[in-house]
Amino acid sequence: MASRRRMLLKVIILGDSGVGKTSLMNQYVNRKFSNQYKATIGADFLTKEVQFDDRLFTLQIWDTAGQERFQSLGVAFYRGADCCVLVHDVNVMKSFDNLNNWREEFLIQASPSDPENFPFVVLGNKVDVDGGNSRVVSEKKAKAWCASKGNIPYFETSAKEGFNVDAAFECIARNALKNEPEEEIYLPETIDVASGGRPQRSTGCEC
Amino acid sequence: MQETEIHDLSDDADYAASQQQGSASMMRCESGKRSSSNEPGGAEVVYMKDNVTIHPTQFASERISGRLKLIKQSSSLFMTWIPYKGKITNARLSEKDMNLYTIRAVPFADVRSIRRHTPAFGWQYIIVVLSSGLAFPPLYFYNGGVREFLATVKQHVVLLRSAEHANVFLVNDFQNPLQQTLSSLELPRAASLSIVPSTPVSGGESASQENGEGTDVDVLDGSPSIRQFYRRERQKVHDPARDISMQVLEKFSLVTKFAREATSHLFWGTPTNDFSLFERGSSNLSAIDSSQKPRDDVLGIPVPVLPDPLELDKLSLAWGKPRQPPLGLEEWATFLDSEGRVVDSKALRKRIFYGGVEHKLRKEVWEILLGYQSYESTYAEKEYQSILLSHLLGCVNGASLVPFEGNGVWRRGGACVDFVVSFTNLCAGISISPEQEKRFTKFRERKGLIEKDVVRTDRSISFYGGDGNANLSFLHNVLLTYSFYNFDLGYCQGMSDLLSPILFVMEDESESFWCFVALMERLGPNFNRDQNGMHSQLFALSKLVELLDAPLHNYFKQKDCLNYFICFRWILLQFKRELEYDQTMQLWEVLWTHHLSEHLHLYVCVALLKRYRGKIIGEQMEFDTLLKFINELSGHIDIDVTLRDAEALCLCAGENGSACIPPGTPPSLPREDGFLFNSELDDTVL
Repeated sequence: MASRRRMLLKVIILGDSGVGKTSLMNQYVNRKFSNQYKATIGADFLTKEVQFDDRLFTLQIWDTAGQERFQSLGVAFYRGADCCVLVHDVNVMKSFDNLNNWREEFLIQASPSDPENFPFVVLGNKVDVDGGNSRVVSEKKAKAWCASKGNIPYFETSAKEGFNVDAAFECIARNALKNEPEEEIYLPETIDVASGGRPQRSTGCEC
Repeated sequence: MQETEIHDLSDDADYAASQQQGSASMMRCESGKRSSSNEPGGAEVVYMKDNVTIHPTQFASERISGRLKLIKQSSSLFMTWIPYKGKITNARLSEKDMNLYTIRAVPFADVRSIRRHTPAFGWQYIIVVLSSGLAFPPLYFYNGGVREFLATVKQHVVLLRSAEHANVFLVNDFQNPLQQTLSSLELPRAASLSIVPSTPVSGGESASQENGEGTDVDVLDGSPSIRQFYRRERQKVHDPARDISMQVLEKFSLVTKFAREATSHLFWGTPTNDFSLFERGSSNLSAIDSSQKPRDDVLGIPVPVLPDPLELDKLSLAWGKPRQPPLGLEEWATFLDSEGRVVDSKALRKRIFYGGVEHKLRKEVWEILLGYQSYESTYAEKEYQSILLSHLLGCVNGASLVPFEGNGVWRRGGACVDFVVSFTNLCAGISISPEQEKRFTKFRERKGLIEKDVVRTDRSISFYGGDGNANLSFLHNVLLTYSFYNFDLGYCQGMSDLLSPILFVMEDESESFWCFVALMERLGPNFNRDQNGMHSQLFALSKLVELLDAPLHNYFKQKDCLNYFICFRWILLQFKRELEYDQTMQLWEVLWTHHLSEHLHLYVCVALLKRYRGKIIGEQMEFDTLLKFINELSGHIDIDVTLRDAEALCLCAGENGSACIPPGTPPSLPREDGFLFNSELDDTVL
């Protein structure tokens, strides 16, 4: 039952163009920030080994293009995801308004077995910009939305400064782990309703 | 009528022709057929629709009509679409082309989703997306029937509609009826089409939908839920705010089409009196065109018998011709007559194919390769063209509210002035309603998107490096202007990558703009909203690998990688992110010669995949590791070797290779009466 294999946890980062998806991923995995990341075309991913309760996991973090027009590619990239990270820029209202679209689009394309309980984590990035003076999406507003969608955990981050990035990803990994059935790594392609009735809800992260 | 319905007559040319003529007779025919016809082997045809057509290119003459059927066999539902035989109106559409698109009994278990498009103008169509991520080209229902199609599907498989995405239907082929029930319980918000009429429906649908206007509201009065559903749809269509915004968009679209048409005359011919200066240029263009047909070239060379792919691999493919040094000034002069015309364009293209050009010549040569200047223009004509278009650009910018220096005023010649006047009137005449303001929010978003990408385009190159670099403003201006110039296409990520080397070479805003316009005439469809250009590319790539390396094809098939998304970036950016800046420029000028094939970039993809096939198969790479591997090849590609491989593969594939590539796959140039993108106005602008 408990597999000796190192388990793969697949995480997808979604959000509007320029909210900092690539930067968050690189800050977490490589502890680096650059102003010169190029716009992501297609998709890419980075991996990082994480350890929980004496077990090793490989976190595979997928970074995708932020323009709506490329969403049809999602079918291939989202498959088998264990957690979806929705990122917005706290200085751009539209990027927050779009979170709902990203969430819906993900659920359509990834077709998780239990969409109601599929783990999401929301990150409000770029809190460092202009000392917070250009901020337009308040923490309260973001948290209210998260609460309305089944208590999605919410983190404020700065990929540039590395602020809160580790904490956010630890929560992401733990949520991904909750989603992962013990005995198999890849979910079958068709929706398996029988095994989809796990009662857990993503109630936020205590971490 | 009933008699003929028993048999499948899709292969019968006369029958197909008669179907095209009278839609009334066809309706009768269809309504009878639906309930009764049987396929051999216990299969039952549950839905059939004639004149369902695909549009491989924007040309009416190249459309392929066929018959769409839903077939039920035991408990599974299959979809087929078979093109009519003997209906080839265009010589360029070979039977191979038609077979390329044939959909043979695709089980709905393999279908992920169906996207429905019911535009206010034009035909309704659907896009069927498979679980693998592959999508079939849009199927246009000339006689209507999309709703009926979906209703029929719904009768046999679980079809769920998202509350958010009214036009996306998810397909799941559950075997067990109990599971069906469970799934609809678990996904209450997704099931909008809850009840489906149990009796097949028919009526005046075909006739009323001839021109695609959605007037079929009264067709189905079978069930209350369906009627409700239609009412909701109707409300959507008649939302006045929506109508206004549609009108505004429509006008913009018309105007930008007008602009494109005007400049198409400049670039590609179709001489008008206003542009008599360019008449000769245009006749050249057609000459270039015919000489560019890759098949002719390939036929002239003895095509080697396709060897065993493994053998080919061992040879490292190194039998493409050795690369030559780049074309230099002295040699360039030998291609020109005393007034600056290129004497033998074919020889020039061939020369560039084998060696590229020296950087200092690039500006002059690229303008010709891209079609901004004609091969047969004299020095004087080129200069005039340059001045003319620079002024026109000033006008475009003045009208489109883009901050741009040197707004020239140009008041001669018909089409361009008309364009400028229309555009200016349009901008001046708009009174801003809240709905329109919303649209302008979209424009601001588009601008924001460009700004975000400009500051992360090639900043490590000194030309674009540093703060406050003026070249960044040029990049920004050209992209924003282009997004108005081609309003339907707008801005799409990746465009800044394609523009960057052009601006680097041209060092001039106006010339960069028009060269970019010329490049996008060819590559634009890759950026289309519905991604049909890229789907054609990836489809062609999968066919080429199947042809040139069957074991690798089988490996990808086994690993569920046949969607070739792993090569998406290669193709969209024409290897720009994979190569050093200078190498990118070398590759592009070779690709632009269209020597041997317009689609050499696809052979470059095959060459690279073949070069690493041993590693790919040896390490049993899966989709994710494969994608990683491909992405990490960036910066490690030897462009000379790869080009030799690609040339060899292209020659080796010959006509069979050309047949793998759907007509209209970018960068195939429009070659007939029209020059415009056929991009439909979708719901959103961004």
